[in-house]
Amino acid sequence: MNKEEILSKVTEAFVSVLEHKNFQLTDETTAADVDGWESITHMMIISEVEQRFKIKFKLMDLMNMSNIGDLISIIESEL
Amino acid sequence: MEFVKRLQESIEKHSDYNVLCINSTFYTYKEFAKEISKIRTTIVNTIEDSEKLIGLVTNDDLQTYASIVALWLEGKAYVPVNPEVPFERNAKVFELTETKYVIDSSERSIYIDCKVIASKELLNTEINLVPKEFSGDQLAYILFTSGTTGLPKGVPITFDNVQALVGAIDAEPTFNLEPYDRCLQMFELTFDFSVVTYLFPLLSGSCMYTIPKKAIKYFYIFKLIKEQKLTVLTMVPSIINYLRPYFSEINAPDLRYCSFGGGALHSEIAKEWSDCLPNCKIFNYYGPTEFTVYSGFYPYQKETDTKSHNGIIAIGAPQKDTLYLIVNEKNEEVGIGQTGELCLGGPQITPGYWKNEERNIQSFFTREENDKTVRYYKTGDLCLKDEEGDFLYVSRADFQVKIRGYRVELAEIEFHAKSKSDKKVNMVALDITNNLGNAELGLAIESEPFDTKEIFDYFKTKMPDYMIPGHVRFIKEFPHSINGKVNRKKLKEYFDIN
Repeated sequence: MNKEEILSKVTEAFVSVLEHKNFQLTDETTAADVDGWESITHMMIISEVEQRFKIKFKLMDLMNMSNIGDLISIIESEL
Repeated sequence: MEFVKRLQESIEKHSDYNVLCINSTFYTYKEFAKEISKIRTTIVNTIEDSEKLIGLVTNDDLQTYASIVALWLEGKAYVPVNPEVPFERNAKVFELTETKYVIDSSERSIYIDCKVIASKELLNTEINLVPKEFSGDQLAYILFTSGTTGLPKGVPITFDNVQALVGAIDAEPTFNLEPYDRCLQMFELTFDFSVVTYLFPLLSGSCMYTIPKKAIKYFYIFKLIKEQKLTVLTMVPSIINYLRPYFSEINAPDLRYCSFGGGALHSEIAKEWSDCLPNCKIFNYYGPTEFTVYSGFYPYQKETDTKSHNGIIAIGAPQKDTLYLIVNEKNEEVGIGQTGELCLGGPQITPGYWKNEERNIQSFFTREENDKTVRYYKTGDLCLKDEEGDFLYVSRADFQVKIRGYRVELAEIEFHAKSKSDKKVNMVALDITNNLGNAELGLAIESEPFDTKEIFDYFKTKMPDYMIPGHVRFIKEFPHSINGKVNRKKLKEYFDIN
């Protein structure tokens, strides 16, 4: 899976949790840039991403994640 | 006031210890004492003695915590407002309490209708932590919770109330904080649970670790447990529900105490969580804002003390000087094993809702017991008492739900939804359980689909984030029960969120 495919699948996970499409995800996107992305929805998004990619994140990786770029590289490392 | 005097002694005695860790920066009790003194001097010089209720903008910084102590040394109450909550709601809080002065550490204060004390820009003064003499029936703080009529409800708490709380916790031999303790302080200061997470560490010279407002709370807590080796956790149960998928990676031998409160703690998860904390005592606390944070607890122990009802861990027995009473609809005591509304009496009870006589008549009553008149607060929680004298939570008696520990009246959400929408359609707010076992809010609208942006934009001006529904469903016709009421249980089935 290339990076663009990962990003598009991640975007689908965001849309499904947040129930809106008013955002564009890039490497630099953080929670502050997306309406509704906060502590709670973050946990739901993480669990949604895990299901869609059939992977399981490690708490240690999630703990230091700060933007979409970080999320994508963790996904890449798990695939 | 004894506990304020003890605060002074503790802050002086532990001057070389750390008091707070905020965003990886440590502050000592000495630095804390300096900030308190600066703010206190300004209070004395600018605020007239008769002005007792002082606004406080709850930023995550040393000055905000120092402001609470400074106000208490002067016998004044803090009226906290969260800077992330809509301005209109906060302005309403100040209007209801007739607050004229606001202590604000923000770079620029938006509370221009009040006289603002900019607590980050004060000049150094001599350290003075000696409390003023004042009467215990003065208020120590007022907190606002969700109200059914669209207006938040004020809960005033007196110094005597807080003193009774301190006395009750002191009387509990199994819980003792030490200066080496590292304690989680994850609560917004507008949430009453925060009172125990700052007050007890301060009285013991322990260090508090806060959560930066932008952090993902759950992971940040884990980071603090792991990297800072926290020894004391005080949390709402929803935190561990979210961390549950990662329990296998958590092993925290440094933790001594873990207290839960502000929501139902489920047996299964309590057991699994307990496995992550091999040296930790777990307490399941109970108590509403109206009764000064805690009224009692159940000491959970995964092998020996696991009492529960419908999978929810017991709330145990009342603490020192507190009375629990379970009543029927006529406020008469019911027998052992029978479900009724839990009522609380004793010195921690609030004097009553702020300027809300109607609500006070509904929520408080008095009862003659052994030639004494005891005043009780009706919690709205349905409970039962077992033969060993332990109390068990059954359910809510009304439409109040807990979202991440915060009390939310579903009627308040419905009130705002209906007052904004020009479409005359029925809207019902619901609590829905997600696949991690936490409650989320949904809004069911009896209509063909339409754009709800206007309603949600309006919500954002009226309610804090946690009260804004995350899910919307349009339903052509609401299901009704036999007696004609909207069937909320059936409605919830439309919210397939997992």
